[in-house]
Amino acid sequence: MLDIQNITKRYGTHTAIDKVNITVPRGTVFGLLGPNGAGKSTLIRIVNQIISADEGTVLFDGEPLSPRHTAQIGYLPEERGLYRKMKVGEQAMYLAQLKGLSTREAESRLHWWFDHLDIEQWWNRKVEELSKGMQQKVQFVTTVLHEPKLLIFDEPFSGFDPLNAELLKNEILRLRDEGATVVLSTHNMASVEEICDTFALINHSHVVLQGNVREVRQRFACGLWHIEAETSADIALPANCQIRNKQYNSNLWQADIDIAESDINTLIAAILPQCKLRSVNQILPSMNDIFIKAISE
Amino acid sequence: MRKILLIIQREYSSRVRKKSFWILSIIVPVLMAALYAVPIIMASKSGEDSLVLVVDDTGIFNDAFRSSNHITYKMAPSVAYAQRMVRDSGSADAVLYIPARETTIPNDAFLYYQDKVPSSELQSDISSQLQNRIRNIILQDVHGISEEEFESINAQSLKLHTKSLETGKQAFVEIKTVVGLVFGMVIFFVIFMFGASVMRGVAEEKTSRIVEVIVSSVKPFQLMMGKVVGIGLVGLTQFILWLLLSMVGMLGVRATNPTLFEQAESRQTISEIATKGEDLMEQTSEPVSELMQGLVAIDFSLIIPMFLIYFLLGYFFYATLFAAVGSLVDSDSDGQQFTLPLTLPLMLVMLLMPAIIKAPSGDLAMALSLIPFTSPVAMMIRLPFGVPIWQAILSIALLALSFPINTWIAARIYRRGILSYGRRLTYKDLLGFLKTKN
Repeated sequence: MLDIQNITKRYGTHTAIDKVNITVPRGTVFGLLGPNGAGKSTLIRIVNQIISADEGTVLFDGEPLSPRHTAQIGYLPEERGLYRKMKVGEQAMYLAQLKGLSTREAESRLHWWFDHLDIEQWWNRKVEELSKGMQQKVQFVTTVLHEPKLLIFDEPFSGFDPLNAELLKNEILRLRDEGATVVLSTHNMASVEEICDTFALINHSHVVLQGNVREVRQRFACGLWHIEAETSADIALPANCQIRNKQYNSNLWQADIDIAESDINTLIAAILPQCKLRSVNQILPSMNDIFIKAISE
Repeated sequence: MRKILLIIQREYSSRVRKKSFWILSIIVPVLMAALYAVPIIMASKSGEDSLVLVVDDTGIFNDAFRSSNHITYKMAPSVAYAQRMVRDSGSADAVLYIPARETTIPNDAFLYYQDKVPSSELQSDISSQLQNRIRNIILQDVHGISEEEFESINAQSLKLHTKSLETGKQAFVEIKTVVGLVFGMVIFFVIFMFGASVMRGVAEEKTSRIVEVIVSSVKPFQLMMGKVVGIGLVGLTQFILWLLLSMVGMLGVRATNPTLFEQAESRQTISEIATKGEDLMEQTSEPVSELMQGLVAIDFSLIIPMFLIYFLLGYFFYATLFAAVGSLVDSDSDGQQFTLPLTLPLMLVMLLMPAIIKAPSGDLAMALSLIPFTSPVAMMIRLPFGVPIWQAILSIALLALSFPINTWIAARIYRRGILSYGRRLTYKDLLGFLKTKN
């Protein structure tokens, strides 16, 4: 859906992003990760054609990015806001029309969304009367209203209470299921595990890690397994296995075991005679761990 | 194109719907009508009757004071008595006391009052009567000129009629000064007001953080120009409202005293017919009707269209620069450092107003009315005095040509400024903004 090829952007002597290559597959949620100042916002602004790249090309649906694509992109910036003195409905209409919707279409779609998110009663209220969370809902609606093929959310969860964050997450997944491609820039690693299919990690203007969330976690797995078994006595482990964390009560034995260079089959074969196995699970590193590990390397 | 129209529409309608727009639309015409009404009020003012008690210790002013329609002079025996009359019974308005000195001719006189400050008319009447009497005495004693002779000399007067060779119209310099000042101030005010409105609008979009959402739909340049044009149209609407309402107001004022205006106009035509040399005998005209003549003599059919041209060009000249400044503001208090260089030239021209008025065709006035930064205000001040056509054309052309240059500079600063959050920008940043492509 989105192909970022060799993009470089410099501000004076500072290189904000350096030869970045990223591919966002169609119909997925893509996590754009990285510490503050890594160059995520610059990259997002280039995709939104707010600024232009010094080098490289961006392909949107196979075509070089051009101004007519703005109508097919929905963008919720990190620094976002609304005209404080304007009425909510009027403002949403304005933003929708700027994205190319006709008056009639904008109105009917807005009413659908306002009804859907249960904010219909705010239509004639001024923005300054709304709480921050309410404003965020309105901003979300104006981002997705024109049914863009590509949605870009920069830190969408900041400022949302847990209830609305959940609502937002579900809406994002629903939009993906309806065929939209979503780019999500966030610091919230838990949400990456939950909703992102693929991701790229940017640090110091470079992509340092990129791929499928599940695969990368698998790749970063370091031989840690969680084992549950029924037994009347403690279980003896092979020499090269180490217990990280153990619980043993009322015949249920639970432990996180580091099998190091060894094989899970070897471990199972060793403990099977001593107990009745209930479950064996690989412990995958959290995205948070991967993030920290990749950044500090 | 549709997008820029949407922006213009929003900028326009959100401002025109404000109460402050309509308040301003009404206040200015009321002021204009008031300005127009001044001559009438002056003409119809009956003048207050005053009674002045004169206490003359020198003994040379006996019976020298001539009472007029409104002012009556009465001799009083002592200061104490006269002051009591004013203070306690209120039967007189003021006491004029001329104390005796060793020499015959006094140097000082005192005018005491209780509640009412003596009008300037009264004061000047008193001082001229005193002066006349003193001159009279000196001429009589030293040069032997009799009182009657003195009176006849004094009654001689010569009126200077300053007229244009071309049109034969009176110069009416004072009126032109007033008109020039008024239009100069008004254009200064509107350029500043609508320019600042652009700046505030841009700063508002930046501080409320809506700007990034919008520039993901439209180009920063479109947003900037949409705002500048939208607010310019608000200015134009305001101008048209001012013009229409002022005309209504002035016609209203005229209707209250039609004869006064007719007289003034007919006298104007007479003096226009009588050009070059063989002047028509004019009755000694009162200062008020001269004011009226001046007012009807001003060529508003030239000044108003020129005002419109200079307002629009001056506004566009400054508005784009104000937009650039607005994009540099991060919090409300910020940005003062960048507004100063913008306001300085306009302030300068306001400070130099007296010099322009003094020599409306001088080098300074000419230079200021050609330089685009100052020409809208300077030219409006000069206009009532007459400006050579080549200067007017050159001035307008320079202003119009500098607009694209300003826009180019402003656009470069603007598109970077609006997205620079969270740090104070410096002039060095500005240079960087100008150099980078996008």
